[in-house]
Amino acid sequence: MYGGGGGGGGFNAPSTASGRRRNQEDEEEEEEEAGEGRVLEAWERAYADDRSWEALQEDDSGLLRPIDTKTLVHAQYRRRLLLRSAATAAARIQKGLIRYLYIVIDLSRAASEMDYRPSRMAVVAKHAEAFIREFFDQNPLSHVGIVTIKDGICHRLTEIGGSPESQIKALMGKLECSGDSSLQNALELVHGYLDQVPSYGHKEILILYSALNTCDPGDIMETIEKCKKSKIRCSIIGLAAEIFICKHICEETGGSYTIALDESHFKELLLEHAPPSPAIAEYAAANLIKMGFPQRGAEDLISICSCHKKIKSGAEGYICPRCKVNVCELPTECRTCGLTLVSSPHLARSYHHLFPVQPFDEVSSIYPNKLGQKGGQKCYGCQQSFINPDSQSSLHVRCPKCNQHFCLDCDIYIHESLHNCPGCESQRSSSS
Amino acid sequence: MPQVMVVARNFMDMVAALPASKLDMLYDSAFICEAVLRSLPPLAKKYALQMLYVSAPVVASAMEEWVLSDYATKHRVAIDKLLQLRVFVEVRDRRKEVSYKMNQKFQGNMQKYLVDGGSLPREPMPSSVTARLPTLTELEAYALEQWECFLLQLINSSQIEGGSSFSLSMMRTFQRGLLSSRDGEAPRLTENGFQFLLMETNAQLWYIMREYISSAEERGVDPTELISFLLELSFHTLGEAYSLNTLTDVQRIAIRDLAELGLVKLQQGRKDSWFIPTKLATNLSASLSDSSSSKEGFVVVETNFRMYAYSTSRLHCEILRLFSRIEYQLPNLIVGAITKESIYGAFENGITAEQVSLAL
Amino acid sequence: MTSKVYSDDVSLAVVVVDTNPFFWASAALPFADFFAHLIHYVNSLLLLNHLNHVVVIATGVSSCTYIFDSSDASASGSADVAATFAKASRKIEEFIAQDARCTASNGSVADSNSASLLSGALSLALCYIQRVFRSGTRHPQPRILCLQGSPDGPEQYVAVMNSIFSAQRSMVPIDSCIVGAQDSAFLQQASYITSGVYLKPQELSGLFQYLAAVFATDLHSRTFLRLPKTLGVDFRASCFCHKKTIDMGYVCSVCLSIFCKYHKKCSTCGSEFNRVMPDLNSMPDQRQ
Repeated sequence: MYGGGGGGGGFNAPSTASGRRRNQEDEEEEEEEAGEGRVLEAWERAYADDRSWEALQEDDSGLLRPIDTKTLVHAQYRRRLLLRSAATAAARIQKGLIRYLYIVIDLSRAASEMDYRPSRMAVVAKHAEAFIREFFDQNPLSHVGIVTIKDGICHRLTEIGGSPESQIKALMGKLECSGDSSLQNALELVHGYLDQVPSYGHKEILILYSALNTCDPGDIMETIEKCKKSKIRCSIIGLAAEIFICKHICEETGGSYTIALDESHFKELLLEHAPPSPAIAEYAAANLIKMGFPQRGAEDLISICSCHKKIKSGAEGYICPRCKVNVCELPTECRTCGLTLVSSPHLARSYHHLFPVQPFDEVSSIYPNKLGQKGGQKCYGCQQSFINPDSQSSLHVRCPKCNQHFCLDCDIYIHESLHNCPGCESQRSSSS
Repeated sequence: MPQVMVVARNFMDMVAALPASKLDMLYDSAFICEAVLRSLPPLAKKYALQMLYVSAPVVASAMEEWVLSDYATKHRVAIDKLLQLRVFVEVRDRRKEVSYKMNQKFQGNMQKYLVDGGSLPREPMPSSVTARLPTLTELEAYALEQWECFLLQLINSSQIEGGSSFSLSMMRTFQRGLLSSRDGEAPRLTENGFQFLLMETNAQLWYIMREYISSAEERGVDPTELISFLLELSFHTLGEAYSLNTLTDVQRIAIRDLAELGLVKLQQGRKDSWFIPTKLATNLSASLSDSSSSKEGFVVVETNFRMYAYSTSRLHCEILRLFSRIEYQLPNLIVGAITKESIYGAFENGITAEQVSLAL
Repeated sequence: MTSKVYSDDVSLAVVVVDTNPFFWASAALPFADFFAHLIHYVNSLLLLNHLNHVVVIATGVSSCTYIFDSSDASASGSADVAATFAKASRKIEEFIAQDARCTASNGSVADSNSASLLSGALSLALCYIQRVFRSGTRHPQPRILCLQGSPDGPEQYVAVMNSIFSAQRSMVPIDSCIVGAQDSAFLQQASYITSGVYLKPQELSGLFQYLAAVFATDLHSRTFLRLPKTLGVDFRASCFCHKKTIDMGYVCSVCLSIFCKYHKKCSTCGSEFNRVMPDLNSMPDQRQ
């Protein structure tokens, strides 16, 4: 199992690999096209990709210890949560939930750099896929399109649309990089497309930028001005170093500019763009849109669907509540009467943004007697006991509304995925 | 994991091979029913459950409707298994149509189970009688020690120590198939035997039990009773004491042997003696173990084929000795080398290269 | 996912039991009989595989609680299985009494048509399942079974939907068995979205047979069994203003709140609506 030299030589691998990486970063600024001097051996690569040394930290006495990931993760999450809730608490919750987003992916030469494993391009593609899924999960009625920059030219990979699968498929098929990148071309192209979307939609561009330069045909300032006028919000995530023009674009259009430190940081930055940003009132006109919630047809009903003109039994389609025509999938617009048809679960996916769970208060059980009264020793959600034989500190949290106690894992789960407080939901509020 | 399943299934095949009358007798005990039901493949389990409250025979063709047409083979396998074990009984009516019906005894026992929940084969002794019971960890350590000792004996019968109660002939039965002995030579481990050593404890246990039961007839013991006792044993509560007085004679003889294997621990009180089932016993009916009970060792093999094994177990040492030359043996470290000679030696015994690398 | 589970048919079943007194007072099947069926069902799951794990959560009008956990029972020694069940039934009685007191003190829910707290029970169940996911690399395959009798509570719409989506993300199917008279739109959607089974038994006296035949099936066997199909799912939404179920309505473009009538201002996010539909929107709907 532990064959060959893996045992002996393995210890050198981390240091050489990390050293290499650091060197590479330094050199990057001067000569971007520096070829790979030496190819890593297969066994070296396993360590280099893994970066196991990053999971170690020195404690007070200088000993190496694995990082206590659980508390670290929780602390990180609390920071994020508090930040988010502070933002929403300030103003009345107004979020742009109908978003039209173009993802611009830089596939210039710089994207083939190997400082991210296996390459910047692969990392970007991998996380863009996760991002697109997450985006549609959180913004059900939104649309995404993909644009790539290659050889100084922009190319629209996919039309803006509402289906994650087709976008991802198109992206995965087109992964090769060459030439320069051009911010102006990208902005011009996307601006042209975004000008056509309905006024209630929020127009956004997200650029995943690998290059450190831009090769533009004209004055980019004019383009930025144009975008600003069209109320397009422009955000950039850089993979290399901060560039002035990127910062300028983001500042002008109200977006955010961030630089990724490593792969996990990049992922984090990218996913920050998935939840809808607080709406800026002037950016999109609020409107009430008339929508239908069609039902699935009954088994015995046979009709012709309006989209493919094929005969279908009712169970395969949905029936427009206004004109009773059969459509194949949701969300769509009724071909006959033009009513926007959605399924209510589709809309409901975004409701947790409207009614977020309040952040829980941290409680450390220094006074076990006080909270030992009623179910205080167990997490209300998962019934796990707070008394942990391994660690003395049994930190946990309490919902300020229902006063139930939760363990840290449940805390994360409740705020990140469930979006319900089990305690509050298990109590009939007297107002209802 | 699959190994355990395979061996355990084999055990059930043995049960299935019993004559119908014996099998029906086995189903008198609710525990056998339970163990048999749990050993079934998932689909068969479900069918059994579905038929639990159906007293009239169900036509076979109607049953086929239960599965999607693409999976008819799975259905066949499940039904065959149920028929083999006589959980379902085939009934033919006048029009020669095949229908199935559940074994009445089986059905009755299972229905009782659902109403009362599982009960216990026998009452544990009150703690006032039993002085001090070993803790669970002690018990586990005891079980493992016994088991390892037994294995050691098995592969290396020349070094018998600690006095085994297993008669030589009994040991021979266990060794059959695992060791091959040529005339005048010390017995050597065969390919199967080596494979056996690499199995998980539970699988090994099942294997030994199968041998034990199949050899029962030679010893003039009814295998049915042994099977039923063994399965019953697995439903006892871990770490509780049970009086030996409740056992029949056959069972009392068997329990001595089982204690030797580490399945139960025998203790002597002032008046009477009792046995305490260990984890090995309670895991028996569960055809898959939830925790692998083999001790984790750590073996490092260098490119020059020198081998370091951090293990305190003599069994590990013996296993390693089969294909390597042991150089030093420190309290918690075994240093050896895999040499050409040692490997040839292993090959001669029918141990293959894959098995060696698997062992490492 | 498959690499993380024990084996194909080891399951963790979380059963959500509706104890709504308003419903059981007028139900066709007495609660005691229903509870007996439930115990049979729980026993049969435990019988099928000794690694199976069953948790029962009761949901009443004013509270929810854990009633039974088979891992507690086995930890204390399987010696007193019968006693454990006796404890469970005592616990459920206590719970019902407690729940009735809560309901009585809370005057606003005296309405005999009030719903049980499905959202709370689902949230608890999901928290529990997450804990099992965390517990190690090998864990049983979880699923949720809802035994519901009382009608849906439209005020729980958002919370129930949140639970459903969370279950979908963690690939936990929600099975529903309706023991009441009317279909539940919530559970239809829940089972549809999470690919669980939705069933409204015709003959409640044979409830156990339904439970054993359909809901005792482990997830692995489900792939090749013919299980009841959902006929038609009610995808209608309930509006935020009157909690009515509607099939056509207005949706706020900012926050996607649903309203049954045209409003000047969104009550959820406070956006003001201009009556004119935007030019670029090509809906022929603009006459209003």
